[in-house]
Amino acid sequence: MSLTFLQHIFRRATRSIWENLYLNAVSASVIGASLILLGLYSLVQNNLSTVIDSWNKDVHVSVYFADDVDEERRLELRDKIHGMSEVIQVRYVSEVDAKNWMLEEVSGIEDTLKELGDNILPASLEITLDAQMAHPKRIEEFASKIDYDDFVATDYGVEWVDKFNAFLRMFQALGTFVGLLIIIAAMFLVTNTVHLVIYNRRNEIEIAKLVGATKSFVVLPFLIEGTIQGLIGALGALTGLWVIHRTLVNQLQQHETLKMMTDLSFIPVGQQLLLLFIGLTLGLMAALIATLRFLRKVG
Amino acid sequence: MIRLYNVHKNYGQHVALRDVSFTVSKGEFCYITGPSGAGKTTMLKLLYGAIQPTTGQLQVAGMNLSLLKKNQLPLLRQQIGIVFQDFKLIPTRTVGENIGLALEVIGTPRHLIERRVQAVLNIVGLPGRDHLYPAYLSGGEQQRVAIARAIINDPSILLADEPTGNLDGAMAVAVMDILQKINLRGTTVLVATHDAALMKRFPYRCIRFRNGQLEKR
Repeated sequence: MSLTFLQHIFRRATRSIWENLYLNAVSASVIGASLILLGLYSLVQNNLSTVIDSWNKDVHVSVYFADDVDEERRLELRDKIHGMSEVIQVRYVSEVDAKNWMLEEVSGIEDTLKELGDNILPASLEITLDAQMAHPKRIEEFASKIDYDDFVATDYGVEWVDKFNAFLRMFQALGTFVGLLIIIAAMFLVTNTVHLVIYNRRNEIEIAKLVGATKSFVVLPFLIEGTIQGLIGALGALTGLWVIHRTLVNQLQQHETLKMMTDLSFIPVGQQLLLLFIGLTLGLMAALIATLRFLRKVG
Repeated sequence: MIRLYNVHKNYGQHVALRDVSFTVSKGEFCYITGPSGAGKTTMLKLLYGAIQPTTGQLQVAGMNLSLLKKNQLPLLRQQIGIVFQDFKLIPTRTVGENIGLALEVIGTPRHLIERRVQAVLNIVGLPGRDHLYPAYLSGGEQQRVAIARAIINDPSILLADEPTGNLDGAMAVAVMDILQKINLRGTTVLVATHDAALMKRFPYRCIRFRNGQLEKR
């Protein structure tokens, strides 16, 4: 295949894009819209995973003292637990500390708390565990090790993280399934649009074949056209996703209570490249299927 | 240049060509004639590989078409020129682009295509019309563009299917003059026609068909 031949092919492809601008724009938009949906899913899933990971790494167990345990025993237990190999840090929180914390976090309850007295909240130990302990079973084992009578309650909040993890796994499975459906639907739509472009040029194809055009001369311009549609669609989708991401971050920053979520990250470079690859493949495959289907019909 | 041995062509139960054998030598000008439905167009379609014979052997430009694979068809088409009654020009392409298509498919550089387009436009008497679109040309001029496209790659054989069918008398004569000129340059020319007056004015060998059978070789 000579360079001149390829130049002719590229010229035919770009010319066809220009001459069928509307249909090509429709194809690129369909690809773009599908990739935006996939990208949005990716954005949500990545950020949820990051949050879950941070929760998992931050392994905490809280144990609450019974009212009758004196200060000396409390500190003794604190030191004993601190000496355990799994423990990184232990913080003793007295009834007064707990009340002060409550006053700082929740506004407008000062009067109520004053009436109830100093011992409204129990004293506790806040235990930070090693990151390797970030597994529900290990945390449960650890909790059973410190199951002293001096404690009235133990809270290690892993159960709901575990449930959230299960939800995330289901979300991933559902996302993969819906993502596949979106790709198949986009492929179907783009194939039919490319088929329309080919149909518009059927006389030209017939004449080219009569003057000795090879299959590659007929097929390659459409494949290039499809790939360009995919590329434009993917770049459009990535731009759209970036705009959505920035808008979301700006919106979150304006709300006091949601400020903590402003470190919402954009989809990683690897997934951006994957979206680009999916766009190109979608355009190319749709063009290939449409062209071969057309050639099979006309012989 | 062209050889047929006992060629049969059936479309289902209908027999389009029956036991056809003839030879056309290199550089010959020849008519394929007969009434409508006699098998002229089927004959030409066999010669440019649009259809395969049901039985028999067919040789064109040194290629055995009975054994021709689908991917070899472009090679055959690149060695022959074809002219149709309905011109088969691309309306969205200029005259120059229509003619140049035959060279574009074989990867000829653009500057060479442009040069050859000017040369063949001179041969068919349409110099400087390369920038016009087919719709701006008369029927006779469009047919001359189609002939220019058919001869741009110097084919050894030129097949013309009723090339004067859509033209008035003067235009038909002008087109026949061009075909004659091309033949004088050494190209084998086969013209399918049922125009007796034209054949009388330009007397050449006639291969006559009737009901799918050869009447005269």
